[in-house]
Amino acid sequence: MMKKIAVVYGGSSHHHRTYKTSEFAKYINRLIPIRELETASLEGVDVLLVPSQTHLGLLKKNVEKIYAFANGGGTVVTLGPQGFDWLPSHKWEFRPTNFWWWLDKDPKSGLVLSAPEHDLFKNYLTLSDATWHQHGVYWPPDNCEVLVSTDDGGAVLYIDKVSTKGTWLNTTLDPDFHYGSYFMPATERFLRGFLPWLVEGKL
Amino acid sequence: MKANFIELNPGAIFAQRGKNKTRENFTNVDIYNLSNIDLTAYNCLVISGFADQDFLYEHRQIILDFVNARKILIFSGNLVTDWLPGGQLFVPKEINSYKDYEVSIHKQHPIFEGVLEDDMTYNKGVSGFFARGHHPTPEGAEVLLTLPGDTPITYIDRVSTKGTILVHAGSDLFGYMKPEINKTTDRIGPQLVKWVHEEIAMLQEEVTR
Repeated sequence: MMKKIAVVYGGSSHHHRTYKTSEFAKYINRLIPIRELETASLEGVDVLLVPSQTHLGLLKKNVEKIYAFANGGGTVVTLGPQGFDWLPSHKWEFRPTNFWWWLDKDPKSGLVLSAPEHDLFKNYLTLSDATWHQHGVYWPPDNCEVLVSTDDGGAVLYIDKVSTKGTWLNTTLDPDFHYGSYFMPATERFLRGFLPWLVEGKL
Repeated sequence: MKANFIELNPGAIFAQRGKNKTRENFTNVDIYNLSNIDLTAYNCLVISGFADQDFLYEHRQIILDFVNARKILIFSGNLVTDWLPGGQLFVPKEINSYKDYEVSIHKQHPIFEGVLEDDMTYNKGVSGFFARGHHPTPEGAEVLLTLPGDTPITYIDRVSTKGTILVHAGSDLFGYMKPEINKTTDRIGPQLVKWVHEEIAMLQEEVTR
């Protein structure tokens, strides 16, 4: 089944490039201006994507609506560091961003591919496509599926099918922000795998 | 006349990194309140690329009226909708080498006095943080900084309106983080504030003359 993705659209230059005008726009079925999210119908939406750098005040107003969407069997995807705790049982731990690991003598990004057999990493992405920096980690419930983690086990990208009646994919990575800023080539490779997978792959 | 800054808060997490010393006197308002705010008391409007530019387009008349009242508008970011008076949409630079990001001072200006080009271009030896494209300038604009090929990344426009517009195709020139990183770029924020004060005085003087 081809899933229909709706993006909570903030109108920033980053969102504009990534979701509206770039090669990735074709994967997006609908842009919902965040100003209209409270009253928007989510009928027909399979995946609701909440981008990096979303307006925090308006996001707060829509948390219940997003949970209701998930509990109706929908899939919610959240990218980048969140500005407040709102994801289900995520246990966010802030970590200083490792901007400069790749300049070290013995460069280690600190990322581990925890689920190499998952469709996303078997058929769409490599770990290096997901490697630039991370802003922190999640410590989700045990029965969530962690796809990418830090070397001490914190979740950088995970799938939660247990906390609500729907599915959540949460990551501290912010590919849409960097691609939208014309910065960091790995983020482009990430989106080239991630978005087609979101539309057609096995979640 | 004193400069009174008002800044539109775009709501994004990277735009909430606390007030640094440079912007401690800025009035910070949520962007979506723009049409409910009495702007009379303010004379410098600060907007960044995190802002909802569809919303700004819908409210472009408010912005135009503000600048036309002989006031200042400062935009740091990539312009993606047609809300900025005299502004043209962002054009990304084609990058073949890290040298394509090298920043040059096109014309000495008080905002960039004592700021080294290399400090703008490089951060720990890595280039590309400062600007990655440009906005074509209106005729008669004053270009301050360029990328290679005379590509204008920072300009002052005193032509398109009765006020003054400063456009920078990059990160917020006032700085979101603590400005003290011990590079000459630390000078930009305070010098920009000082320039705004002088520019306001000049704009007002022209009115009374």
